[in-house]
Amino acid sequence: MKKLIATLSLSLALATGGAALAGDYPDRPVSVMVSYGAGGATDFQARIVTMVAGNKDALGQPIVIINKPGAGGRVGWNWFATSANNDGYSMAAYNVPHFIAQSIKGGVKYSTDSFEPIANWGADPAVVIVGKDSKFNTMQDLVAFAKANPGKLTLSGAGLFVGHHIAALQIEKASGAKMVYIPTKGGGAAAMKAVIAGDVLAGVNNLSDAYRARQAGNVKILGVADLQRNKEFLPDVPTMKEAGLDIDNSSVNFRGLMVPKGTPQAIIDKLVAQVPVMFANKRVAKRMKAGGSPMKIMNRAEVQAMWKERKAFLAGLLKGL
Amino acid sequence: MEFLSYFSHVFEPVSLLLLIGGTIGGLILGATPGLSPTMAVALLIPFTFHLQPSQGLILLGAAYTSTVAGGAVSAILLKIPGAPANIATALDGNEMAKKGEGAKALHLAFMSSAVGGIIGVLLLIFLTPTLAKWALAFGPSHLFWIAILGVTVIGTLDSKSFVKGLLSGCIGLWLSMIGYDDIQGAERFIFTDALTGGINIIAALIGLFAIPQVLDMLSKGRARSAMDAIEVRHQSLTASFKEMVSNMRALSIGTVVGSIIGLIPGVGGQIAGLVAYDQARKFSPEKDKFGTGHAEGVIAAESANNAMVGPSLVPLLTLSIPGSPTAAVLLGGLLIHGIFPGSDLFKNHAAVAWTFIDSMLIGQVLMVIFGIYIANLAAKIAQVPRSILAAGVFILAVFGAYSVQQSMGDVHVMIVLGIAMYVLEKFGFSAAPLVLGLILGPIAESNFLQGSLIAGAQDGAVIYFLTGYLNLFLIALVVASVGYAFWSTMTSRRELEKSQKSGLMR
Amino acid sequence: MRTSTKKFQQIASGGTVLLVAITVAWLSYTREPASAFLFPRLISIVFLALSCWNFFRAVMGMARIGGGLDVTSAMHITPGLVVMLVYVFWLAKFLGFYVASSLTFFVLLTLYDSGNRSELSNWAKRALITAFFMAIMYALFAFVLKVQLPRGMFI
Repeated sequence: MKKLIATLSLSLALATGGAALAGDYPDRPVSVMVSYGAGGATDFQARIVTMVAGNKDALGQPIVIINKPGAGGRVGWNWFATSANNDGYSMAAYNVPHFIAQSIKGGVKYSTDSFEPIANWGADPAVVIVGKDSKFNTMQDLVAFAKANPGKLTLSGAGLFVGHHIAALQIEKASGAKMVYIPTKGGGAAAMKAVIAGDVLAGVNNLSDAYRARQAGNVKILGVADLQRNKEFLPDVPTMKEAGLDIDNSSVNFRGLMVPKGTPQAIIDKLVAQVPVMFANKRVAKRMKAGGSPMKIMNRAEVQAMWKERKAFLAGLLKGL
Repeated sequence: MEFLSYFSHVFEPVSLLLLIGGTIGGLILGATPGLSPTMAVALLIPFTFHLQPSQGLILLGAAYTSTVAGGAVSAILLKIPGAPANIATALDGNEMAKKGEGAKALHLAFMSSAVGGIIGVLLLIFLTPTLAKWALAFGPSHLFWIAILGVTVIGTLDSKSFVKGLLSGCIGLWLSMIGYDDIQGAERFIFTDALTGGINIIAALIGLFAIPQVLDMLSKGRARSAMDAIEVRHQSLTASFKEMVSNMRALSIGTVVGSIIGLIPGVGGQIAGLVAYDQARKFSPEKDKFGTGHAEGVIAAESANNAMVGPSLVPLLTLSIPGSPTAAVLLGGLLIHGIFPGSDLFKNHAAVAWTFIDSMLIGQVLMVIFGIYIANLAAKIAQVPRSILAAGVFILAVFGAYSVQQSMGDVHVMIVLGIAMYVLEKFGFSAAPLVLGLILGPIAESNFLQGSLIAGAQDGAVIYFLTGYLNLFLIALVVASVGYAFWSTMTSRRELEKSQKSGLMR
Repeated sequence: MRTSTKKFQQIASGGTVLLVAITVAWLSYTREPASAFLFPRLISIVFLALSCWNFFRAVMGMARIGGGLDVTSAMHITPGLVVMLVYVFWLAKFLGFYVASSLTFFVLLTLYDSGNRSELSNWAKRALITAFFMAIMYALFAFVLKVQLPRGMFI
């Protein structure tokens, strides 16, 4: 019975043709799965960049956010790789380097080959923060302390094998000092609380959240793990290279949309054409800037190249672990 | 007293309209199973894009307070706690509804919600800087001990048997560990694909409470018994108010416990209701009446879960640290307007911040008015024929469990847990401690692991977990709680044996 | 007779819980990585100890709480439970959520309604109640909450 229906619907789809299907697409709301909880940075940004999806010049249908949090994102991406429909009505937010690092580490059901990127909306570099009363004022102070007291410098971050962890690993490698990375449950907000409350000596966090915390007078930002300084939000904070640590932008948290493998090419093409336009909307840009979230719009080809490059780099970095 | 001068902002036409709309909408969303306050507030965020900052916050604040209270409706009438905050309300509230006292239970729930809620917001207004310091004092070791304290509550919660209560809690703790381990990402106890995401707390909650209820209704078969003709008693407002005031002890325990627990970041309101319920019972001279439809149970639970709302915003508004998932979503509502909370929030954005807080006070009053209006209508649900009620609750449970994460796996987990719970309940196990275990497991585990890592870099685990005033105080509470539970089961057993002996003699 | 069935049921339930506890403990101590199973190991020991105690009480006849299952209730539950399980595990995805839910609601009503089944008006009444209930559900979940429910053969 089920087979019969499957055959029937398949032949129907073939008869009407993929192009016609993509022509109607989307004729109902599209869902975007976020692998982190409601209120987190990824969730917050995903809600903003998709808010104009219902406009005529965007998808013409609203986008609904579904949260599937757990285990640093593994739960959501596992579900997306194995159970999501590949009819174009299921999209997901990706976080690079998180999902790539997790797939290299193993124990998950996805890799870069399981997903088709659509477009990138933001790039949130990792920064190193300390409490406002901390004795550390520069990255050099921090590294000097870690060298003098191996295994005594505690660094909080959002979890294992996420951007923060990658940055911490790079700092440890570049400085040659032994530090203790403390993954928190509950994402960047919990890691931030640990720094402000003095539970840990320092922390790695998102640029956007750290910028706000500094505005509120709660933390000092010592360095940013990116190739250039962030002119828009933190022009006075040096990069790791300037601070004498040879660290590139591999830990920058890229966020964007993707669909599962097997989604019809016609639908991918349509999304690839329209989603970057939606991200570039003026109202979106205004809200993102108000929230302190740096934007970086990249098209599908650029994202594919970025995924490939990150994969090669992370495979090397994580080999010893 | 600065907050008084901003009341006029709340009464501007658009603001007032939003406040009323948010309150009514929040009550309805809160009463929908599967829709937690966090989800409800997140759903409303897109609406606030088009509003002024203060108006957007009024909407979100109204929705937050009223969804927490609205959860009481389904908890009392259908025994489906829509969110963990309403578990304790269901324990006595549903028994009251079954006796035809649904209207009274709902009145008490809304009135004590408002009392707790208003006191909570007043704490937020007057004590914010002091409270913020307290909130930061809780590090991983303290949160670990708080979770353990919660676990010790388990043994005495809603179970006649001490062993089976603790055992139910252990089953809950075990269930909470299913799925990917949160820190390392290792697979634990994953038997089928539906479990890879772990057991979702809301879906589990619906299954554990609603499904046994449905099966119990089905077990009576088709026969219409005399028991069915429940007379739904009309309840006058003054009578409800008098009843609440006469239960001052439960009301104050609920408010105090709720305020304190709401303040602690990371524990949140999930367990405020349960802990307050347990404390109210321990201090009550009528301990045995709890669980049989006792007004004190509803009052303590509901005053606690709304009292937690105000203090839970303290870390958010002063330090920009969201202490609960709902606070995190509210933070998003502030950020899209470019408002960064922090110690200078009340200086830089005084109009927005105070209007928001004032609207939460007015919102509590509106919530009582609208809540009581629907209470009188909704209480008639006890007269709905059993077959319709059973089928309706079941379908609602399925829809609710599905919509949490739009996952069929959650529905499967929900029904399997529900059927298992029905059988377990027949043997003296109970759902409330099991859920408490499910909530506290991850809190205890992650803080234990974090604490151990930090301790390793400092002076070792013994010093980190066992020294310091706050640690020692919490440990003392744990010891007192266990000692009390043991002592009270011993005395009650002795009484039971005595009464049985006298029964034999007769 | 009754007390012995009750005792037997208590032993059976206590035994089942004990078996679960043994499985949990065994899995906790054999699976890797050990660091991820640190907490499960701790819990499983307490779990095991408590279930042993519980089982011991049942065997000694000290477990008195809980009436156990009885045959009449089980007979009443079975047809409804079968309908529920078929709906959740198969029908919902096959027919589509709304159609399957309407059907299940209607069948449950028919199975447990105390009214006379041969009267046509009762059938109409039940159909009407089903339509009314599902209309509310559709309005709430499809319009207000915009939840996308699984689609099957029909919407």
